Amino acid sequence: MYEESLFKRCRNTLVSGFFVYRTQIFGLLTGILFGFLMSRAGATTYDYHAKMFLFEDFQLMIVIVTAVIIAMLGVWLLKKTHIHAVATGEEVDFVKKPYQKGLMIGAALFGVGWGMTASCPGTIPAMIGEGKIAGLFALAGILIGTMAYGILQSHLQLAKQQASRSTDAN
Amino acid sequence: MEVIVWSAWLAGLAIGLFVIFHFWLMGKPAGCSTGYGNICGLVCQRVPYFRQGEYRHLNNAKLWFLLGIPLGGLLSALSSPEPWHFSFSMGMYDDILPQTYAGKAIWLVFGGALLGFGARLAGACTTGHALVGGAMLNPPSLLAGVIFFLSAFFTTHLLFGT
Repeated sequence: MYEESLFKRCRNTLVSGFFVYRTQIFGLLTGILFGFLMSRAGATTYDYHAKMFLFEDFQLMIVIVTAVIIAMLGVWLLKKTHIHAVATGEEVDFVKKPYQKGLMIGAALFGVGWGMTASCPGTIPAMIGEGKIAGLFALAGILIGTMAYGILQSHLQLAKQQASRSTDAN
Repeated sequence: MEVIVWSAWLAGLAIGLFVIFHFWLMGKPAGCSTGYGNICGLVCQRVPYFRQGEYRHLNNAKLWFLLGIPLGGLLSALSSPEPWHFSFSMGMYDDILPQTYAGKAIWLVFGGALLGFGARLAGACTTGHALVGGAMLNPPSLLAGVIFFLSAFFTTHLLFGT
């Protein structure tokens, strides 16, 4: 009977575990990096948001414009080289968010929330990590808002199904 | 809590490189607000919307991305000169927001609810639409990014009374 050494078994468990959960592990690591960069960029400091919209300090505006331009060049380069993604092994999918009903109203509501809390869904977890208590309340709000949307959509779907069923019956 | 803030050019360069790195690593655009739906689906399992479509598999990279962000913020705060501590201060906003703690909390929950509902209605948040969508030159994303900015601009000016 073939017996593997303890070291080999531990190593195999680790390697297969990493392989199975690679998207979760990569997600966690990229999340840590993202949170760190958001914090270093000043996006977790409330005053930069106020100063940007009052045109007193352009820190965040320069950050986002520079980031978009760099990322645009990178996306162009990745598209040209047809590079394969590390996690999936398939070609990188540049899936674009489609125009959806309510995009303009949703964006306007989001902007009001941005102005009120001086934070956005990406920076709120980073603020909590920094010990900002205001982030906890904003997080509770985001979960309530997302839940409200999910419940609303579920009800609309149900109403649509019932309507189509009643027309089928006729 | 004061953290070290890099110069805007350096931070922008780093975030731009992050977006490219994320594409190469995950093969998908980065996004933040979708992950909140994963949490809603895990907390409340009876809402059908959080069981289908992009929420078919709840234990995915988006959820773990969101869980990683606080750790990044913590690392950033720990590597700053000021020792880590809790604070409820919001800088310039302290003068214009409700003065009691409860009032401030209700204000923040209401603003957060607008962020969460608006982000789902628009399809993505500042990261997904303005940053990543802008980098892909996706017209709906550019439109959403402009409306995000204009709406927040007017809100802030109303709040500060200028």
